[in-house]
Amino acid sequence: MKIMKLAAIAGITLFLSGCGPDEKDQTSIKMWVAPNITQEVYWGEIVKEWNSNPANRKVEFTSIPAAGSSEEAIMNALASGTEPDISTNIFIGFAKQLSELKQLTDYSKMPGFQTLTETRHMGKTISNWQFDGQQTVIPIYISPVLYWWRSDLLAAQGFDHVPTSYDEIYTLSERIALTQKGYSLQLTSGKNWWDRWFDFIPLYYAAAGGRPYIQDKKSAFDNESGLEALNFMAKMFANKWTSYDFTTADDPLAAGMVLGAMRGPWDIERYQKQFPEVLKEIRIGPMPTQSGAPGANTMADSKGIVMFSTSKVQNDAWKFIQWVYSDPKHDLRWLELTGMPPAREDLQSNPVFSDYLQQHPLVNDIVSYVPKAVPPAAVTKTVEVQRTMTQMIEKLMFENNSVPDALHQSSQEIDKILEQ
Amino acid sequence: MIKLKESTTGGLLASTYLGYSLVFWLYPFIWLAVLSFTDWKFIGTPSFNGVKNIIAVMQNPLFWTAMYNVFKFLAYYLPIVLMSSLLFAFGLRKLKYGKAFVALSFLLANVSSGVAYSIVFSKLLSETGPINTFLMNTMGINVPWFTHPDFAMLSVALIITWKFVGYYGLIFYSGLITIPKDIYDAADLDKTSGPGKIWHITLPLMNAQIVMVLVLAITVAFSIFTEPYLITGGGPLQSTTTPMVVMYEAAFRQMQPSWAATMSIIVAVFSFSLIWILRRCLEKKIEIV
Repeated sequence: MKIMKLAAIAGITLFLSGCGPDEKDQTSIKMWVAPNITQEVYWGEIVKEWNSNPANRKVEFTSIPAAGSSEEAIMNALASGTEPDISTNIFIGFAKQLSELKQLTDYSKMPGFQTLTETRHMGKTISNWQFDGQQTVIPIYISPVLYWWRSDLLAAQGFDHVPTSYDEIYTLSERIALTQKGYSLQLTSGKNWWDRWFDFIPLYYAAAGGRPYIQDKKSAFDNESGLEALNFMAKMFANKWTSYDFTTADDPLAAGMVLGAMRGPWDIERYQKQFPEVLKEIRIGPMPTQSGAPGANTMADSKGIVMFSTSKVQNDAWKFIQWVYSDPKHDLRWLELTGMPPAREDLQSNPVFSDYLQQHPLVNDIVSYVPKAVPPAAVTKTVEVQRTMTQMIEKLMFENNSVPDALHQSSQEIDKILEQ
Repeated sequence: MIKLKESTTGGLLASTYLGYSLVFWLYPFIWLAVLSFTDWKFIGTPSFNGVKNIIAVMQNPLFWTAMYNVFKFLAYYLPIVLMSSLLFAFGLRKLKYGKAFVALSFLLANVSSGVAYSIVFSKLLSETGPINTFLMNTMGINVPWFTHPDFAMLSVALIITWKFVGYYGLIFYSGLITIPKDIYDAADLDKTSGPGKIWHITLPLMNAQIVMVLVLAITVAFSIFTEPYLITGGGPLQSTTTPMVVMYEAAFRQMQPSWAATMSIIVAVFSFSLIWILRRCLEKKIEIV
């Protein structure tokens, strides 16, 4: 019996000793990066270069652990005390949430922060990422979402340029409707809340000249610009010029079911692999507006890098971040590998990038919109806000609500959500 | 050789299971209860806030929409899945060869990955998918399977029926083969019609299996997640937003684990009550004397 008891005690001790957070190994800087092959390759190269200098504290990076989303993985890590020192792949709304929970370090208090913003030419960009007087996140890249058009299919409809105004799209849609084959546009990218980043929000930014859709904890899109964007969407659906059913498994643009669709720079690599012939026909166009004037604003799909306030190696981690972003060659390598524009304002004027951009005209077109790309609202209730916007669009389709009513109702609901 | 008492051996054998339950059942369960009476955002110590979470959940329209959707799902799912599983069981009984193969083929749906088949179904049932192309060519109609609020939940119910028909069918089949043939012979002598035999003999004698399948189906209804999350995103117009989708987004997207924990307890109470009512109304003790 004694042996049994001993065995039981030993078992329990062994079991319990396995629980609890691991003690942080303070010999290295722990970093999490987006679970994405090209980004992992990039960080592999960068970290190798950093680690090759014996004077530097070593960086160990892994991709964000598998979970429903990066946000979920990071929250779980924070709850169990297993968070890294720094993490990439943080969108503005999540940064705001983490910031409110006091989990992030304010970069603006770090030595040399101002110099870094100047060296990287990101002064204007980074100001969009400040909240509550703090700079808890540094944007890594800014991907303007834009319309991709099939020039071959446009030519068949008598268009020698990409449509930029609503009226041009209506004309094109009427022509497509006559052929009874396919649609003119993929207007909505899906039914989930995050899909609003790729339809209503950029269309609103374009119509409103980049003005925010949420300001001072209140919705700010129940206005002329909001009406303009939503009227456009409503008209496209009412005339059946677009469908709400482009499933994620298909790519209607590549399949030729539509002539234009909203896409991001990350799609270039995918198209290169899967539809290289189609990619040759792709032309980049702005978000359409009523007037079709050039230089319309759009939304920036953008992610940043944060440092957790629990990190015990903040100074070394900051040195690493400074080192990465003060050398434009690192940003060039990022651009080469991911195709996503680094968050800097000198991409088209800095000679470091000129060769690459000359050889990659599509990327060059996309890069020209970086100054016009505005990040989404920095609110903690992104899900609720954008779910309301989804309802707004669906009410137009299924309940025949009038555009001003749908817009007004959604705006009121958002005010209520943000009040809480 | 150490001689162990019988109870010690038993205890040892059960210890892994008990340990497992303690860690993976009891501990989360207690944590869930703690969370539902406190305010916690993944970080720090939960602070007690009484019944505030319960009130917040009850006052949230999305909670009620999700509960309504469960009942809407059951209204589609129960008749469809019961009929098709019964047909499957009857069909399986008639088979002379390859019973195991057929049963396994149907069971395959039950073990396949939700993510994988969600993608397959979203392609199959899309506007330009093979099913709609066929309907368009033969009847000139196009069914908005996932894109109309009136159809989306029906489509989800059909997918989940596909997943469970083999499983429930086998449960029915096990009940079906235990009914003594003598009873049917006696019914034949009384000149009972085919449907009469099913209604008066087969179904009453399968009471235990039917109740079991109903209980399982209700449990499934309250736990649907993958299909709406991946295919419809809970829409259109929140017609497929299920409690699981609401809880997941509340906990991991909106960072309100306490709210989500409270909702999970309320949803569990609803599902247990429904099962209790169902058993009170339908369960009968059947004995063949």
